[in-house]
Amino acid sequence: MPHPVTIAIVDDDEAVRTATASLVRSLGYAARTYACARDFLEDAPARAADCVITDVQMPGMSGVELQQRLRAAGRSVPMIFVTAFPTDDLRRRVLEAGAAGFLAKPCDGDAIIHSLQGALEGHRAH
Amino acid sequence: MDAARTPDRRPAQAAAILIALGVFLVDTLTPLEGAVAVLYVVVVLIAARAFSRRGVILAAGLCLALTATAYLASHGPAAFGSPLLRCFVSLAAVGITTALALRHKADAAVLAEQARLLDLTHDAVFVRDARGAITFWNRGAEEFYGWPAAEVMGCVAHDLLRTVLPAERDAIMAELLRTGRWEGELVQTVGAGRTVVVESRWALQRDAGGAALAVLETNTDVTERKRTFAALVESERRYRSIFDNTRVSILQQDWSGAKAALDALRAAGVRDVAAHLAGDPDLAARLRRSVRVVDVNAVTLRLFGAPDRHALTGSLDALLQEGDQTFPKALAALADGEAFFEGETLVRTLDRGTVPVLFGIGFPADPAGLDCVLVHAIDITERRQAQEALLGVQAELAHAARVSTLGELTATLAHEINQPLAAVVTNGEAALRWMRREVPDLDEVGAAVTRVVANGNRAGAIVARIRGFLTKAPPRPEWLDLPEMIGEAAQLLERELARHDVTLRLSLAAGLPPVKGDRVQLQQVVINLMLNGIQAMTAVRERPRVLSVQAAGQEDAQVRVDVIDSGDGLDPEAAERVFQPFFTTKRDGMGMGLAICRSTVEAHGGRLWVSDAGPGAAFHFTLPASEARAA
Repeated sequence: MPHPVTIAIVDDDEAVRTATASLVRSLGYAARTYACARDFLEDAPARAADCVITDVQMPGMSGVELQQRLRAAGRSVPMIFVTAFPTDDLRRRVLEAGAAGFLAKPCDGDAIIHSLQGALEGHRAH
Repeated sequence: MDAARTPDRRPAQAAAILIALGVFLVDTLTPLEGAVAVLYVVVVLIAARAFSRRGVILAAGLCLALTATAYLASHGPAAFGSPLLRCFVSLAAVGITTALALRHKADAAVLAEQARLLDLTHDAVFVRDARGAITFWNRGAEEFYGWPAAEVMGCVAHDLLRTVLPAERDAIMAELLRTGRWEGELVQTVGAGRTVVVESRWALQRDAGGAALAVLETNTDVTERKRTFAALVESERRYRSIFDNTRVSILQQDWSGAKAALDALRAAGVRDVAAHLAGDPDLAARLRRSVRVVDVNAVTLRLFGAPDRHALTGSLDALLQEGDQTFPKALAALADGEAFFEGETLVRTLDRGTVPVLFGIGFPADPAGLDCVLVHAIDITERRQAQEALLGVQAELAHAARVSTLGELTATLAHEINQPLAAVVTNGEAALRWMRREVPDLDEVGAAVTRVVANGNRAGAIVARIRGFLTKAPPRPEWLDLPEMIGEAAQLLERELARHDVTLRLSLAAGLPPVKGDRVQLQQVVINLMLNGIQAMTAVRERPRVLSVQAAGQEDAQVRVDVIDSGDGLDPEAAERVFQPFFTTKRDGMGMGLAICRSTVEAHGGRLWVSDAGPGAAFHFTLPASEARAA
């Protein structure tokens, strides 16, 4: 049985987390949810995630910090950022750091799907 | 003259008798071929001083009798020739001398009698004879100099009194002899050793031949008057020194004309001068012209940029601004009999600039003194600048605070509402996907739609919570007197009114019932409306800038306040929108003022609306009044 494409979802808001997971699953991917960035980092199977969809503003560790940690650890998992405060400055920072997508909350499903597909294809191409 | 005052005459009397006896003995017993009896003249002269009139006549008779007796004893009754001639010469000499002495004595008696009348005066009066010896000394002199008459008779007056003459003695005497009078100021020393200043009047008494007989000297004590005068001069000098050297500007003004006009108003039945003046600008202007600047000090010249006093003396009108609000108030204070009035205003300098001053007017208690009213003024430009800078900073801070509050509010709204909205959207998208799969997974669809509903409700709850938070302004309701509050607002805006040259007309009905509300919030409504009115008139040039604020009760138990400006008004489209948030006609306005005012008034159960007011705009608001508390 081939390894299903797994999407990790990091968001401190349970409602958003569940909704995103449902959307991801409806597309045929596996979804794994985390309430905070630290949980994701500590979860060993996280290494197996093919893509990470993360909130930016979260208590404890922000999405941006998570991106830095992953890069510092040499992990190249593609990341899609979703935020309620989409400033140009933030967009530039995360995209320069290699983010696969930067979306404003609330965002429509098509935008998430488009980013997700782009991220997964880009990752495979690597 | 009574005995106590009479000097001892006995030695002179004894001398007269002894000489008479001596002459008689020589005349009788010696064979001298001469008119020895002529020497009786000496007896008569001494007697004239030492005896009364009758005594003189007696003495003269005795001398004549002794002369005749001596002749008869020496020559017998039958002898004729030169001895008889000598006897007659002697008798004639004695007779003539007696006549002269009696006449002189009579003159002196008249003089003394006249002088006695002078006892009645409080002035020190004395008579001194040609030698300067005192021959009369009235009661006033006794009291003033401290010596009884008996002690000073015969003393040389000016030695006794150590008189210091204001000029050379010879010059004074020359004038006295020429005109018979002299007047001047003397410094003398009284019995107690004290130095006094007297105003002295001398009158010369001449005998029939015109020779100086006596001087009547009348002295009035002017020591106290001199001291008072000196004190007055010193006081005047000190006042002048303060007037000229103080750093406070002082203007001496004549308000007597204004006072007369105010009295006329009062006589005509006007009670509230301030209101009357507000309703009659022409009268106010006329009164302003009636106050005259009489004198100013050096600081005032600098304050007004005037080259000299004359540039500023004249009507006060020239120094005040057209829309000055303080003058009518000062008049009202004067009319009410207040002793002091102070205020802040802008005065006009000679170079057509303005200077803000803090001034005080002291009204004298006696209306007669109103021609010399002192007005003090201090240039408060620097204080004003500091104050304005401070207010500017405060305003900026307040603005920044409002903006940042708004920003925080937006951030909170975004964060709080975005999460459920995101969940709604994403769940909706997911539901669609689950439904559109080849085999729709209705369980997943149902779960997603359930979450849509839940998150929609969650968003609604958040909105309700924020609204509750915003409207949960701390209510501090208390009973408020609207006219009083409007008066306070007018005070707070005094500076703005003066700066924009706006005349404020308050028309506040008496005895209005109180309204219940939050003092600070309603105060802000009043200030906001007034400030808007003031700012709406900044472009007005061709007509007076007048802001009217009226408060009156209505039949429906509401109190109504009207704030009317004489600006350019609002066009109909703007009138519709002024109460919307973020609508503004001001360059740096937030557009929140009127929106907040309206919600504040409505929260207090009232209404706020705008109407057209001739050239300007009129804002009106009503508040429910307490009938129960109505006075």
